[in-house]
Amino acid sequence: MTSSDRENVSSVRSAEKTRRGGWFREEFGNPERRLAYYMILPALLIILIIAFFPIMYSVVLSVTDSTVTASGSFVGVENYVEMFKNPDFLEGLKNTVIFTVASVTLEFVLGLGIALAINRAFRGRGLVRAAVLVPWAFPTVISAVMWRLMFQDQIGVIDAVANGLGIISEPILSDSTLLLIGCILVDTWKTTPFMALLLLAGLQTIPGEVYEAARVDGANVMQRFFRITMPLLKGTILVAVLFRTLDAYRVYDLFWVLSGQQLESLSTFVFKAVRISQLLFAQGNAASIFVFVSSFLIALVFIKVFGMQTSTEE
Amino acid sequence: MTEGTEAGASVSAGRRLNRRDFLKMSGAGLAGAALLGSTACGGGSSGSGDLIFSMGTDTSGTLQGLVDKFNKQSKDFKVQYREMPTDSGAYFDKLRTQFQAGGGDIDVIGADVIWPAQFAANGWLLDVTDKFPKSDQSQFLPGPIQTLMYEGKIYGVPWFTDAGLLYYRADLLEKSGYSEPPKTWSELEEMGLKTAKDQGIDNGFVFQGDQYEGGVCNGCEYIWTNGGNILDPADPSKVVIDSPEAAAGLATEQGIVEDGIAPQSVATYTETETDPAFLGNKAVFARNWPYMYALAGTKDYPDVKPEQIGVAPLPLAEGQTQLASALGGWNMLINAQSDMQDEAWEFVKFMTSEQSQRQRALSASLLPTRPSLYQDSEIRNTLPVVVQGEEALKNARSRPVSPYYSDMSLEMQEQFNGVVNGDTSPEDAVKALQQSLTQIVEAGS
Repeated sequence: MTSSDRENVSSVRSAEKTRRGGWFREEFGNPERRLAYYMILPALLIILIIAFFPIMYSVVLSVTDSTVTASGSFVGVENYVEMFKNPDFLEGLKNTVIFTVASVTLEFVLGLGIALAINRAFRGRGLVRAAVLVPWAFPTVISAVMWRLMFQDQIGVIDAVANGLGIISEPILSDSTLLLIGCILVDTWKTTPFMALLLLAGLQTIPGEVYEAARVDGANVMQRFFRITMPLLKGTILVAVLFRTLDAYRVYDLFWVLSGQQLESLSTFVFKAVRISQLLFAQGNAASIFVFVSSFLIALVFIKVFGMQTSTEE
Repeated sequence: MTEGTEAGASVSAGRRLNRRDFLKMSGAGLAGAALLGSTACGGGSSGSGDLIFSMGTDTSGTLQGLVDKFNKQSKDFKVQYREMPTDSGAYFDKLRTQFQAGGGDIDVIGADVIWPAQFAANGWLLDVTDKFPKSDQSQFLPGPIQTLMYEGKIYGVPWFTDAGLLYYRADLLEKSGYSEPPKTWSELEEMGLKTAKDQGIDNGFVFQGDQYEGGVCNGCEYIWTNGGNILDPADPSKVVIDSPEAAAGLATEQGIVEDGIAPQSVATYTETETDPAFLGNKAVFARNWPYMYALAGTKDYPDVKPEQIGVAPLPLAEGQTQLASALGGWNMLINAQSDMQDEAWEFVKFMTSEQSQRQRALSASLLPTRPSLYQDSEIRNTLPVVVQGEEALKNARSRPVSPYYSDMSLEMQEQFNGVVNGDTSPEDAVKALQQSLTQIVEAGS
């Protein structure tokens, strides 16, 4: 009997077993499958220890009245209730949502424009493609420090120009609304290239013949854009926007450095509560679970509501 | 964003390296890791008989010298200096992690004045009340001693001190017809405005209004100099910040910005922004710590020479007589888990002795905690700020002492910063603080 024959026999047998013994028998009754499970067991254990354990431990901490120094007793959802009453948390949530929606929208519109522009063949295209990536290549902390200096009132060029033109009348860094607008613009400056690059990759998968056919049929520019480009680009757009949304939603370094710790986001709230404060430790854990769960929900909305494809399988 | 950047960087680095270079590099990395591991183990076994003493990076380089001096005369044991982060917040975090993990191996801790209560409340510090009786305590300045008291016990010895001072440009004031620094905040406003205008200087006054620990020190000073208080000095479990005096203090702070004596951007100022503003000829007055005096006329700040500067205690509100400024500085504490407590005490006594403090004052400009040294003629000659700021240093007050000071600080930072940038009215700020600080005090009892 050749090995393939043996496989056939065993698969037939296991199919029979399925009828009698169910899923577990099917999976473990087959020696090859059993071996496969043994082989991936160590990897599964490691994932369990390094990924699931810390997350579950945070969940546990978030429903107790633990402090940094002592583990506490079970208090149910009290930390979550307190968290939603905490003005700092609400401020962080508000800022994070405004920041995420505004910056991702701007980045998408500008990124799509840039992608369409550099998708055409022109002289020096390679150079332009490399050049647009420069802001993205900076570490966020460095660009935040750089922009903070430009926003600063004594030596900052932006502050001086904006004051000179009469757009603003007070220093940017000491006004929380201006700070938030500043953060949105700096993030747009920094990550539009990333968006443009992802969208460009999507644009290049659309075959030129489709456009040619449309042109022969008499479709104008707008029709071609909305009837061909957008539908064919949908998958790429969803991936790019989801990436950026989750990234923006977790914003920490940009706020912390650009605003000199004055602007609150969800992540800065978690940091302050868990690392600096001693009384808000459990609440900080609750907030981190909130960030985790809400990011998860955002991803679910993209997959279920907008129909994003999570794998290449058709 | 960051993950993406890092991955990109490592990819491009990988492409440029050939295999042999890569092997070399990883070999060096392994060797380095092994080396680090072995030193960490060496430090970890306090069975080696060495006493371990921790302190933030010493930029003056005089600390190791002092430790060496101790080691030379000590026969039974040696002291190892372990360097910690310069940033006091990072240092605190590191110590807290070690204590949580079961005490750690550090025997003697050089500690910020705001830490003792936070550590002592968890039972992490050795109570030295018996070793350090009242008669010995009286040889130190009362402010620093107060920072070491928790529930009637004392947990260490003051090492060196710091206090908020008023710096003024003596040359500019003279040109505008003033012979003396201001005694009250309204005098400061008037003199600042006039002198800045007369002499073509950008700002009348600069201070630290950013949302950070220094902002708390500044805010407390405005409240104290107006006769207000954060906690009741007679009963520290009572929050008394919601008073007309405290509100008046914060109103003074807000008014100085609103009336244009200080720029609006002081709401984002720390010490780092204060130095170039005052020493760069851009302000008539500044509130800062004693260290700034030594920077005047150096190669980073050549514009303003030491002889152009004067130092005075912070101004008071009209009708107030009690000088006040925020107390900074460092103490020496002993780990309750240390198995070398007697040796640790011997080392603490050596480091805080008159002789050691004198040496550190002369070589590193660190201000002594023993009042007797303020009469020392050599110190008075070397550190003019001691002479001019003596009154302020002796009247320095500690910030609220609480096991949950970090939480109090976060609340005060936010409210005080709100007052400086005009978002919060002084009355609302003291009301909000009365409520949140009371909650924190209650959580601590």
